[in-house]
Amino acid sequence: MEVLALKEELISFKGINEGIYIYIKKGNFKDIKKEFEEKLNEYKDFYDGANILGVKSENLKDEEVEKLLHIIKDKYGLDIDENGLPDYLNEPSVYTGIDEGMTKFFNTTIRSGQVVEYEGNIVIIGDVNPGALIKAWGNIIILGKLRGVAHAGANGNENAYVAADILQPTQLRIGDIIARKPDGEFLASEMPEVARVYSGEVVIESYLAKKQ
Amino acid sequence: MGKAIVITSGKGGVGKTTTTANIGTGLAMLGYKVVVIDTDIGLRNLDVVMGLENRIVYDIVDVVEKTCRLKQGLIRDKRYEGLFLLPAAQTKDKTAVKPEQMLELVNALKEEFDYIIIDSPAGIEQGFKNSIAGADEAYIVTTPEISAVRDADRVIGLLEAKGIANPKVIVNRIRLDMVKRGNMMNVEDIIDILAVDLLGVVPDDEAIVISTNKGEPVVAEENPMSAKAFRNICKRITGEEVELLDLDSGEGKFTKLIKLLFS
Repeated sequence: MEVLALKEELISFKGINEGIYIYIKKGNFKDIKKEFEEKLNEYKDFYDGANILGVKSENLKDEEVEKLLHIIKDKYGLDIDENGLPDYLNEPSVYTGIDEGMTKFFNTTIRSGQVVEYEGNIVIIGDVNPGALIKAWGNIIILGKLRGVAHAGANGNENAYVAADILQPTQLRIGDIIARKPDGEFLASEMPEVARVYSGEVVIESYLAKKQ
Repeated sequence: MGKAIVITSGKGGVGKTTTTANIGTGLAMLGYKVVVIDTDIGLRNLDVVMGLENRIVYDIVDVVEKTCRLKQGLIRDKRYEGLFLLPAAQTKDKTAVKPEQMLELVNALKEEFDYIIIDSPAGIEQGFKNSIAGADEAYIVTTPEISAVRDADRVIGLLEAKGIANPKVIVNRIRLDMVKRGNMMNVEDIIDILAVDLLGVVPDDEAIVISTNKGEPVVAEENPMSAKAFRNICKRITGEEVELLDLDSGEGKFTKLIKLLFS
């Protein structure tokens, strides 16, 4: 799902203690390569002599990154640090904006087969039917019935939570933890509830612990 | 080496998924190792009928695209040890899988399982082509309606063209009272048109609706007529000779008629 309608720049130069590196957002290689060359043309002189560490991209293949590195070296004559990118840059970053962060709102029923994904928090004003999937890097809040599958903290944040007016999901996933609806009849709450992870397990409770 | 059987019909709503769930469960009850595959990508149901929806993490598209290992995609049934489900994907469409991939998948499953029961989607397009790609045999489900029989006939022709000869027919949702009154096609008429072997006759039964809603295939229940019919079908699949069920409890004319047909 598109995050922003505005055309964003794919390429940016980032400065860190060790030097600078080129950060490339998700996109197709042709567009990236075009913008990459434009940027280098523009800033070649500015970055000449700087310690260039390498290229970090969201979705490029290794050989595509290799091609870009060759362009830097051969076409623009810039040197690249032998040590490459520092290790900490390669660790996947977990979304942390669960207290304050990017949020997307949907005012509709999410039906079977539909997927709602966002690299932030998701608020749904409406029901989520069985067979639908809601996947957020942050929290998921549903003002309605959750009967489908919700995956909060989808890129690893186990502190993310799922809250719904009626919380009866087929399956709940928080981070890498998966919990499923019990088989057969069970006592379902009529109250709004929230699901969180406590010591490795998904626990469903009332919004306010005192209100039962 | 296992046997792959596709359950198909052409027409929708005749009971392919119910039949798949019951045959799969029935064969597992007889002690066989069985996997049921839902190939209705985008409109998956088999998981719901078997009560396994809440266990789905990976699906058939993940398996053929190798996003996960085959073992990870298989969901163990909640009651029968030897029974597994490979669910369809709900958020993709039929083009997400190609017939060659299905063939490879089914061949891999044949190494592990005695029976691979493939639930086909309605229609004769890509989804149908995927579902029959790896099948050794085909069972056609039809109801005693002209439209369903017409579609079954068309599908039998397509299967023969693909080299799946001698499909067998399951007549589903028959109502003996209506047949007697002459308001419903009888089994003899259906077989006369389709000219293939009859595998079984399943009566129209409330118990099916109840069990489907509970997510527990009816075949595991003791008493319903439909459960007995499915158990008999399973025995026939394994090569046992079983007489057709006496749906007309009391008189037995129906049995005679069917015995005649089956001999």
